[in-house]
Amino acid sequence: MMRAEARVLLIGMGGIGCPAALVLAHAGIGHVGLCDDDEVERTNLHRQILFSDADVGTPKIDAALRALGRSGDVAYRAHRSRILPDNAVATVSQYDVVLEGSDNFATKFLAADACAIARVPVVHASAVRWIGTALAVGAAGGPCYRCLFEDVPAGDAPNCSEAGVMGPVVGVIAAAAADFALAIADGEAPFGELVTFDGRSGNLRRRSVARRADCPLCGYAPRIRGIESSAYVSPACAG
Amino acid sequence: METIVRIPTPLRTLTGGADEVPAAGGTVGEVIEDLEKRHPGIRDRLLDDKGVRRFVNIYVGEDDVRFLDGLKTALKAGDQISIVPAIAGG
Repeated sequence: MMRAEARVLLIGMGGIGCPAALVLAHAGIGHVGLCDDDEVERTNLHRQILFSDADVGTPKIDAALRALGRSGDVAYRAHRSRILPDNAVATVSQYDVVLEGSDNFATKFLAADACAIARVPVVHASAVRWIGTALAVGAAGGPCYRCLFEDVPAGDAPNCSEAGVMGPVVGVIAAAAADFALAIADGEAPFGELVTFDGRSGNLRRRSVARRADCPLCGYAPRIRGIESSAYVSPACAG
Repeated sequence: METIVRIPTPLRTLTGGADEVPAAGGTVGEVIEDLEKRHPGIRDRLLDDKGVRRFVNIYVGEDDVRFLDGLKTALKAGDQISIVPAIAGG
């Protein structure tokens, strides 16, 4: 696939989505979708690098499009909604690669399931405090996000509203995630590769993870064959 | 035999801020029990009634213990254990 023809969807225009969008734009990706329904808050500005003081209170999509308009020769498409159970499969199906940088587990698992059902490769990226992770998943899974983390946590896993997010850490993870997305667009297959970054030590590790035989999404007897809205409930992360 | 365990940021409140701590044991389960003695409370952050919590991954070297022998995974000299939690933020 030529990069100019590639279609990449960014889920979440936060600390991951902003720098990732810049990387994709400057790297020659031809079509970029932006998916978010939040407004810019002042507490976002240290890590959501497309936005400035003047953007506070405006939709992230609008502020991002203004900033990205100065970068690259890209056709942008705005999805002014969260990825939800009733739109997830239809939305991701319009793209060649999805880069999911959302701020809550419900969306992460929904994106994982929707991409598996639509057979679209997806890169999952997260950062909380000083730690960040990025995982590349192929169209057929094996492994997928559920091979690692199984299901939506009950509520005692950290999210950024509780723990905070360090700007440099999300920047590193966004770059790693965008690198995965570019590799996939180029026809490479970094699938099953997990990057972890520790912002305090500076250690960045890349390791391969394996398919879980009993994974409900991509295991040998998968149970998830459609999207059921009741399966995606977890506390949202503000900002 | 002592093994080095790499502690992710969310759990460092239990290790006095240390990002790596030693723990003794011949298996992953034994190491976690020793960790609990040295850093009370950490076992419950890693394990539940069914074993390793579903939003936590424990690696020996490059391998997730779920794909080895789980908590019974035997350790050898020089092995390093890494804990990778599921996180949602950005």
